[in-house]
Amino acid sequence: MTSPLVSIIIPTFNRRLYLPCALGSAVKQDYENIEIFVVNDGGEDVSDIVNSFDDPRIIFINKEENRGKPHSLNLALAKATGKYVCYLDDDDIYYSNHVSTLVGVLESNPDYHVAYSDLYKVYCRILPDGSRQVLSKVVEVSRDFDRYFMFYFNHCLHVSLMHRRDLLEKTGLYNEDLSILVDWDIARRFAFFTDFYHVEDITAEFYSSLEDDDRISIKGRKDLGKYKKNVLAIRKTRPTKPWYKTKDLSIIFDTDEVCGNSINTIGQVVGHTFYPYILYIPMPAHRWAQINSNFANMINVDVAEQVSRLEKIDKALNECEGEYVVILPDGFSITDLWVEKATYALDNSCKNECFELEDSSEYCFAVAARKEDFIKARNQFPEYSLRDSLNAAGLTVKKLNEVASPFEFDSYIHLAIQKEEDGDWKKAIEIYEYLAKSSQNQLWIKTCIVNACFEAGYYNAAIKFSEELNNKRPTVNTLLRHAKICRKMNDYSGAIGLLKKAEQILEGKELIWM
Amino acid sequence: MDVVKNEESNDSTQRYEVLMELGDCHATVGRYEPARQYYNKAASMSPDEAGPYVGLGVVALHENNLDDADIAFRVAYRLNNSCSKAFAGMAMIHQQRGDYRGAFDLYLKCMELDPDNLTALLGLFQASCQMGTFSKIIHYLELYLKMHSADVSVMFSLSALYMKEGRLEESKKLLLNAVALDPSNQDAVNLLEEIEHKISQDMQLEVNA
Repeated sequence: MTSPLVSIIIPTFNRRLYLPCALGSAVKQDYENIEIFVVNDGGEDVSDIVNSFDDPRIIFINKEENRGKPHSLNLALAKATGKYVCYLDDDDIYYSNHVSTLVGVLESNPDYHVAYSDLYKVYCRILPDGSRQVLSKVVEVSRDFDRYFMFYFNHCLHVSLMHRRDLLEKTGLYNEDLSILVDWDIARRFAFFTDFYHVEDITAEFYSSLEDDDRISIKGRKDLGKYKKNVLAIRKTRPTKPWYKTKDLSIIFDTDEVCGNSINTIGQVVGHTFYPYILYIPMPAHRWAQINSNFANMINVDVAEQVSRLEKIDKALNECEGEYVVILPDGFSITDLWVEKATYALDNSCKNECFELEDSSEYCFAVAARKEDFIKARNQFPEYSLRDSLNAAGLTVKKLNEVASPFEFDSYIHLAIQKEEDGDWKKAIEIYEYLAKSSQNQLWIKTCIVNACFEAGYYNAAIKFSEELNNKRPTVNTLLRHAKICRKMNDYSGAIGLLKKAEQILEGKELIWM
Repeated sequence: MDVVKNEESNDSTQRYEVLMELGDCHATVGRYEPARQYYNKAASMSPDEAGPYVGLGVVALHENNLDDADIAFRVAYRLNNSCSKAFAGMAMIHQQRGDYRGAFDLYLKCMELDPDNLTALLGLFQASCQMGTFSKIIHYLELYLKMHSADVSVMFSLSALYMKEGRLEESKKLLLNAVALDPSNQDAVNLLEEIEHKISQDMQLEVNA
């Protein structure tokens, strides 16, 4: 089997001290067919560092002007020729198996166009000479791919990500208007088109100093206004269709006019909806034109002045483009997950099922359905009310509390954490054991079980799960916990062996997971 | 919305913790030299922490090097003047040097900071015996038993003190608990017999009177 070319992109800006490590870790990959782009984003000269590697696979782009990370990434992507692309910040490092691991899974699983591994977040202290003293190595995030989570927030760190280069033809390049959360923006757009393959191996490290962090992403997040603006900008982004893995959502806002309360409702929709959508507002075009509407993803459906409420909805239904449709009556209460629970239910439902939103009532009927089902019902029974037409057309209108909803995993974890805080370790363990029966986030759950069993004093159970965990993927935390259990059971030589492994990881001497 | 963003906690003390654990494990199995090395490493990793100096002090105590132990515990105390283990360590040095009053006061300080510290509690008991005064220690033994209601060795010590104070019924009650928890504890069984005998003697005396 030929090894496809992989493009590694390293944007750099004024980090001469750490760049040699980062670049060195890219050069020393056990996978040879790579091209490495080092893009100096108008910072201090690093040509001597790049030249010192004397490696023909390195392509150096020296920008005169500092134009930000997305610009650097796009510049390199324009020149990249690899089948796959991955990214490395100038102060982070890959382990030598990073590229080979991710290429391996993408080549073996061609349905996946993105893969990501786990990373250590390395807490360090900056010494007077600028070098970094490692204090901790923590797997901060190791979550199996979850599209709803990805729409809500990022769970794949940029350094851990590898994707097919041709995916960018569908998603578009990096958004150069964003100053922070650039990585989430692109990962979110990827999620419209593909599932992500999660490799639970730790294949890289990213660094975080205890001192004030100079990372642009950290500084940017401290400015809450700027942060929220970027989050909203990302959530409104809709790549060009067709989307292969996401159903588009049309929200039809059933209102007589856009003012006062209805403006407030629209604001609530914008603030609380992270699932990609277009809001359709059926009203006469001349009245729409009078509204200074600056909301993103909002479309007017032109209707005559005297048409009925149902006729307006029917017109919007015919014009909207989403595979899923939600009818949102004016005055409906909008809270977190108000619509995502419905889209999630539709994702997991049979044909002819539709879902009444939480807080919906006889007088304020809010419902989500497949567009084709809605059209069928309305075409067959245009004179009926919305609910009656759905029923008459043979659709089952279900309540959302009867079905699974997104973030249930997180809700259970939260509940278990609460139980832990209350000292009810037994209940916490029961919740974790329940979660362990599903196939999601197995290592994470096992880690939680070990911790809870340890705290509860169930050392035999703790040691059993801990062994399983450390056979599969030892981390500093899991080794340390295992050693503490051994100590409790008076197995001091066992504890010392585990602690030495943890020490080796912290010192970077040995990659024990390889 | 209930979303969990982080799997492992944002802990920046792992390396220190690993070094301390290594030091403690080596010290427990009597490998004092590697224990000392790990404690020294931990001290250089976190110079403001008292823990490594407590560890160094304990190792020096085990090696019967009282001067080094004294220095180490004093450094630990200077870094953290509410470090109960530093007080316990200093108390042990005083005790070994025959200064039972000094030891008693330091054990008391330790118990005030950490009523759960069994080493200090037993040290307090020993120092009391060495000085021949018991009244102050009963309170701490009672406090400890409230937290560790099944600790038979402390039950035994406390019941012995009750007996010395003439509180025979309390002593008997405690010993009955101790024997119920550990029927093989011959010291407790013997003391219980002795107390029951004494109680019946007292009752006899009362009847006769």
